[in-house]
Amino acid sequence: MLDRNLVAEVLDVARSGGATFAELFMEDTVTTNLHLLGGNVKDAGSGNLYGAGLRLLYGTKVVYAYTNDCTPDGLMEVARTLARAQGSTGEVDARGAGGLDFRRLDAKPLWTIRDHPTGVSKREKLEIARRAHGAAQGEHVRTTDVMYLDVAQRILVANTEGDWSEDERVRSRLYVTVVADDGTRRSTGMSGPGAAMGREFFDGDLPERTGAEAKRIALAMLPAGYAPAGKMPVVIGNAFGGVIFHEACGHILETTAVAKKASVFADKLGERIANECVSAVDDGTIPGAWGSINVDDEATPSERTVLIEKGVLKSFMVDRLGELQTGYRRTGSGRRQDYTFAPTSRMRNTFILEGERTPEELIADVKFGLYARTMGGGSVTPGTGDYNFTVNEGYLIRDGEICEPVRGAALVGNGAQDLMNIVGVANDLDRGQGMCGSQSGSIPTDVGQPHILISEITVGGRA
Amino acid sequence: MTTDDARQLSFEEARRYLLDRARERGVSLEVFASRGTETTVRAFGGDVAEFKLSSRQGVGLRALVGGAWGYAYSENLSRGALDRALASAVENAELVAPEGHARLGAWAEPPEMDLHGEGLSGVTVERKVQAALKLEEAARTGDARVVSVPYSAYSDGESETAVANTEGLDRAFRELHAYQYVAPLVSEGGQNKMKMEFEFTREFEELDPTRTALEATRAATALLGARPAPSGAFPAVIDRRCMADFLAVFSGMFSAKMAQEGKSPLAGREGEAAFHELVTLVDDATLARGQNSRPFDVEGFPSAPLTLVEGGVLRGFLHNTETASRAGVESTGHASRYGYRGTVGVAPTNLFLKPGAGTREALLRDLGTGLLLTDVQGAHAGANPITGEFSLQAEGFWVENGEVAYPLDVFTVAGNILDVLRDVRAVGADLEFTPGGTGAPSVLIGSIDVGGQ
Repeated sequence: MLDRNLVAEVLDVARSGGATFAELFMEDTVTTNLHLLGGNVKDAGSGNLYGAGLRLLYGTKVVYAYTNDCTPDGLMEVARTLARAQGSTGEVDARGAGGLDFRRLDAKPLWTIRDHPTGVSKREKLEIARRAHGAAQGEHVRTTDVMYLDVAQRILVANTEGDWSEDERVRSRLYVTVVADDGTRRSTGMSGPGAAMGREFFDGDLPERTGAEAKRIALAMLPAGYAPAGKMPVVIGNAFGGVIFHEACGHILETTAVAKKASVFADKLGERIANECVSAVDDGTIPGAWGSINVDDEATPSERTVLIEKGVLKSFMVDRLGELQTGYRRTGSGRRQDYTFAPTSRMRNTFILEGERTPEELIADVKFGLYARTMGGGSVTPGTGDYNFTVNEGYLIRDGEICEPVRGAALVGNGAQDLMNIVGVANDLDRGQGMCGSQSGSIPTDVGQPHILISEITVGGRA
Repeated sequence: MTTDDARQLSFEEARRYLLDRARERGVSLEVFASRGTETTVRAFGGDVAEFKLSSRQGVGLRALVGGAWGYAYSENLSRGALDRALASAVENAELVAPEGHARLGAWAEPPEMDLHGEGLSGVTVERKVQAALKLEEAARTGDARVVSVPYSAYSDGESETAVANTEGLDRAFRELHAYQYVAPLVSEGGQNKMKMEFEFTREFEELDPTRTALEATRAATALLGARPAPSGAFPAVIDRRCMADFLAVFSGMFSAKMAQEGKSPLAGREGEAAFHELVTLVDDATLARGQNSRPFDVEGFPSAPLTLVEGGVLRGFLHNTETASRAGVESTGHASRYGYRGTVGVAPTNLFLKPGAGTREALLRDLGTGLLLTDVQGAHAGANPITGEFSLQAEGFWVENGEVAYPLDVFTVAGNILDVLRDVRAVGADLEFTPGGTGAPSVLIGSIDVGGQ
């Protein structure tokens, strides 16, 4: 995307104020989004993000600038201004302009894209959305929203360590929301599968399955009464059920939280933090997975990071700054939404590994409790891991059997405590897709788990 | 980067190039373009915690084909990328279901406005860093009860916004802003309180870090020594900033778009005395130094002051050209979009409640005994703009015999904004605008529901 000599010169000027590290990130990203409301095309948009971000480290202090004037003059101007930000009078690096020797670090592609979205017509993309809409129709279905999205992000990362990495990330997603109404009650169902793939992601009947799943949830919840309140055992469903682990445990395993000691796990490496049946990973290498990357946004190759093994904390998720702050080895976890953000340590595909029991066995263990089959959104208090999540699709469990559906249930708990209280892990691992928002913006991540049984969670419902 | 197709065009060239290509192809096109630079310096513990410099530009295209809009945007200003954006906008429009009221025009001339002042070119990076450090230090050392200053920042920027279309419209304006905010955390007797103070100007020299820091410290320490709030319905003075926040949260009820979609409780009530006669609401994009002032909206339509409510009577709604055409009226110049990446909707600019005569002290005297409401939080979940209902976490003081007696522990207030605006007893003279650009004086109301101990 940019000439190597120019990049070398920009990086040298940028660190002329005494910076210990300089990095340039550039991207050229094209997007398509289609919004179908009740079967009619409500919005159709296309975008081209184009810009560069320049990051300087003075020890562990960060200064950051971005521009979409990626001409030599534009980049040099940013580099000069940024160099003055610290007001320091450090010496110009001895290697001088053009002296940086970039070794090409392009990580080997972990999978290939068959049908690149730029080669697929809008009408074909619209047809995918229409098929999902069609499958979501039926009795009691009041409104259907279908979002189709594809993104192709080309990136370049280069730094004063000599790293030079170019890559392209292609992603596709479909998101269906169904509102059902039987005249007295109303309910909502959602389904939003995505992948780091092109048109091939929609092969077979994926659009139909997505529309049907959103409808299934909405209709299942239509007759539901309010959930009871109180402490009880809870079986959380697989795939998107992993959102609680992501929010309440994942974020406090990122070095952004660990370095500030704003994490209850900060000094716990090698210690038991979870029940023995719990092992969890953050794996950025799964071919085609929504949160997978060949290389992170600071030129570190992606990897599979074991976070928890049989209950013992094995690793944090570490970016370049986190490595400097904590001394832990980088794990390819430096990510950002786009060139307007400096990278921080983030998740990729984070999930609890399979156990040996079946979901039915877990439910059979519960005398009276809640089956949270699909989860909705929630919030977590930073640092503490205290969380509050809504259940999109919930059922009561009585005497080991799944009984009537319940609406309005909220799970109120603490991530660290839950880890100790996970007493059963099933053998049906699956992942769900989400957009994770944090300091460095909104990025695609997979959450995931098999069905799990937590011995006790506070369920907030109607008393 | 060597071929002519890949060379980046200038901001002005890009606009002209797109319109020329659209005319060649016989396409009706609007180009919304903006560029800006911004510097933000955050300080913590006497040091620079974050320094961020940004420069961003882009073009947002809106093609009108067969009565429907198709959108595309690009930050890449090469001819190749602009050609792709134009083709995409047209292709997108062809997919969208037409709604019949979309139009482009060479609207009337906008008013002359200077929103740029002296410019920022004379303000060095070093001075900005100093301003940020001074702000944080003044807050940290302003009172012995300050524990730390978690939020403290200086930020400024310059930007240019342009709108052009194939009907011959082509206009642009420049603006400058500089602002600072600071939030000291104070502690006494096991109670922690934090309060944010914000100052917005259109001239660097007008910012006063010490004044802003001391005001923040004063406001935070005033909350110390809080006692439990009572529960029940009480008369209340709603402080000007809190009143402005209420108006901002519920401003959607004045949007013609929301009204036409059946999402405004005021839909179809023009000419009715919807509120108390002391309530006059104005939206004025031409205010001399308003945060949201601009000579024209995102469609290029000229700005003009608009009275939404006069003496309690609903006079009209905020319109863009599309909602206006649907309602059979003129646009009021309130088309809005979230930059070149967004789609066109309707939004207020500098919306404010017209001030009355009394001071806040006079309002408190009239109140006698009751609540002084200074802040509400959690509006994204606890306020419903479609019905006007709210139930919000609140902050305030108990007032006895016209004097502020003591601060209150966290409590909630609940009600409906329509009732609040009907229940007005007096409107103060102390109009002030919030960081978001909504303004209000303090207001005395007959009763509000308080949930305390």
